[in-house]
Amino acid sequence: MSRTRSTSPISRTVSRRSLLAGAGAAGAGLGLAACGGGSGGDGGTPESDPDHKDLVMTVWGGEADKIAYQARVDLAKEKFPDYTITLQLIPSENYEQKVQTMISSKTGPDIMQVAENVNVYSSKQQLVPLDDYISAAGLDMAATFGPVGENYRWDGKTYGIPDRSGAMVLYYNKDLFDAAGIEYPTADWDWDTFLDAAKALTDPAKGQFGYGGVGWWPQWFSLVAQNGGAVLDPETGAPSVNSPEAVEALQWAQDLYFTHKVAPTAVDYSNMGPEMGADGAFQQGLVAMNSTGFWAVGGNAGIEGLNWDIAPFFHGKEKAVSAFGSALVIPTAAKNPQASFEIIQFLTSAEGQTPIADLGQDVPANLELQGSDAFLDPEWLEADANLEAFPESADMIFTPKFIPEWNEMQKSVDDAMASFWLGESDAKTTADDLQSRLERVIKPSE
Amino acid sequence: MTVVDAAAVPGRGTVPGPAGRPPRAKMPPHRRKEALLFYLFISPWVIGFLAFLLGPMIFSIYLSFTEWDSFTPPRWVGLENYITLLTDDPIFWKVMGNTAYYAIISVPLGMAVSLFIANLLNKKVRFRKLFRTLVYLPHLIPIVAVALIFQMVFAPGAGPLNQALSLVGITGPNWLMDAAWVKPALILMSLWQAGGGTILLLAGMNGIPKELYEAAEIDGASSMRQFWSVTFPQLTPVIFFNLIMGIIGSFQVFAQVFILTGGGPDNASQMAVPMLFDEAFRFYHMGYGSAIAWILFVVIMAFTALAFATSGRWVFYESEVRS
Repeated sequence: MSRTRSTSPISRTVSRRSLLAGAGAAGAGLGLAACGGGSGGDGGTPESDPDHKDLVMTVWGGEADKIAYQARVDLAKEKFPDYTITLQLIPSENYEQKVQTMISSKTGPDIMQVAENVNVYSSKQQLVPLDDYISAAGLDMAATFGPVGENYRWDGKTYGIPDRSGAMVLYYNKDLFDAAGIEYPTADWDWDTFLDAAKALTDPAKGQFGYGGVGWWPQWFSLVAQNGGAVLDPETGAPSVNSPEAVEALQWAQDLYFTHKVAPTAVDYSNMGPEMGADGAFQQGLVAMNSTGFWAVGGNAGIEGLNWDIAPFFHGKEKAVSAFGSALVIPTAAKNPQASFEIIQFLTSAEGQTPIADLGQDVPANLELQGSDAFLDPEWLEADANLEAFPESADMIFTPKFIPEWNEMQKSVDDAMASFWLGESDAKTTADDLQSRLERVIKPSE
Repeated sequence: MTVVDAAAVPGRGTVPGPAGRPPRAKMPPHRRKEALLFYLFISPWVIGFLAFLLGPMIFSIYLSFTEWDSFTPPRWVGLENYITLLTDDPIFWKVMGNTAYYAIISVPLGMAVSLFIANLLNKKVRFRKLFRTLVYLPHLIPIVAVALIFQMVFAPGAGPLNQALSLVGITGPNWLMDAAWVKPALILMSLWQAGGGTILLLAGMNGIPKELYEAAEIDGASSMRQFWSVTFPQLTPVIFFNLIMGIIGSFQVFAQVFILTGGGPDNASQMAVPMLFDEAFRFYHMGYGSAIAWILFVVIMAFTALAFATSGRWVFYESEVRS
């Protein structure tokens, strides 16, 4: 998950992704139509051609991402002088279509960045299973990456090495807390303490809300998980969004808007200004708390006079919080997967990830680096923010099953919940409706 | 081609041959050179057409009968995609309904508005050129920027549109988030760009012979009568052109929807091409997306054919003599 991918559906803002995707649509169609079907591998470890030394790595993002990835690739080149590694940065909004075209026309990259869409590729035999390489290299996934190490498994095989992984955290405006006379949030907050604070921080007269809202999937998926439910079954990926636990969590989420009125609805946001969402409203002091990813650290630090900090996300009956991350994978079309893996292994080591921390690009997935001063007390950040919140949240990260129908699931969620977040339908009706829509698009793996 | 045919047309001094067909006249060298040059200059277009339009079109017909995720080889499914779309897809009919609703209202409305503006700007008023420029200007703004502007315009409380409505005592709707109002909002937005049609109509108006107006005036026709009896009939070829272009363009509406609403709320503003894009490029159902494209093609062809079929009754060409 990069920052440009994170547009909240509740405040359906115009994302750069959708702007450019439109422009790219026609081109993608032509490119694909011109090339035939790609061939599927047999799922085993393919042969490596040791003479193939020119490797291409595709990643998405903006200028800051380009700098960070290039710095890491430069480190890798020093480590592996025999290889030339070419970094291809593709704008986020075109990434999926672009790599789809590359893979279909058999000009796929040797190393590729993926996120929630990983199993679009792995389920269609387009990725090299890494388990043999991992055991040969003696890489301990659980110790190196924590629970996130399991994220990129599909059908009993591991397809990706986690590269970036930051939990969603709670940003809070210290000045607004001080003015309301409330203690700052801690990891001990539960739904009740959170709600009390949100109520106290809401002041309709000033147009000020206690909380930015939970309409975006990483937010309310977390609440469902905290209540002991699951939108997607962790084993099979089958939808279970109308379980009593999930419905209760959804009702609590909706009440934040319409019963307690502590969070701005989509209507409130669109009245605040164009492109306005929780991140922007937090920076303007219109919401006192906001749960989002690491990218807001840099954004908030750039706002003059904003006195803010971060804490781990609150918990319910259980601890659970979404994370935003990505992994590196090897497409089956790669000619020298052995070399690809060696480079990936380096790039995901503490040494290879250091530029992520030094440049403030994101949270490195490598736990050793996440807990080191390079990440926790970086030079790029003047503000005294408690980055400790990220490693502190690492062991409560829950990850929804990355189903191959991920994009269709997102569309169903947006469609079914549009009226819910406007207060026009209740939790049970919405959950039943969403459940039937999801059952239509998701084919459970087992 | 025409060069050859012209030389072979009977009655141009060629003698019919034994087989009853005129013998093929040998092409004079300058004609041959001309023909060669013709093929030379047309070839970039022909090659481009074959490689980038006809080829992919034929390929997409094939794809529409397959299930293809773009990675693994296509699997032939016969008419299944079409049958699913027409009988079992939860949103397809809704989407086609939305698209037809948008096209059937926005095209005539846009044509009426552009005709009204063109007539207005054809009057001899001060700053006429400036007004013409201003009317055309919205047409030059990229649709992405237009969408961003209208996102503000349609804001339910703070947006200028609803603020203006509240001045006359109307509580404006929540345009982009209300299933009942999101299509009218998109239509309103399309009107903002009516200036494109206006320019063509103005050019058409300039081409109407002044004598017609002089004659009408001598006959005592009011300016309203002059408009309906002279201006409008003379403009019908341009209006017809605008109609055809409008039909094709509005059935293919994409960017506005994609940017402004994403098809929401709950597909209330989802249109055919955004749905096609989602299926083919976000959900990896290339075959299904291709089937949508071909159904849309048939629908557009049908409406265009309808327009052509009726055009004989209301489109007048200058040289034409009507009984």
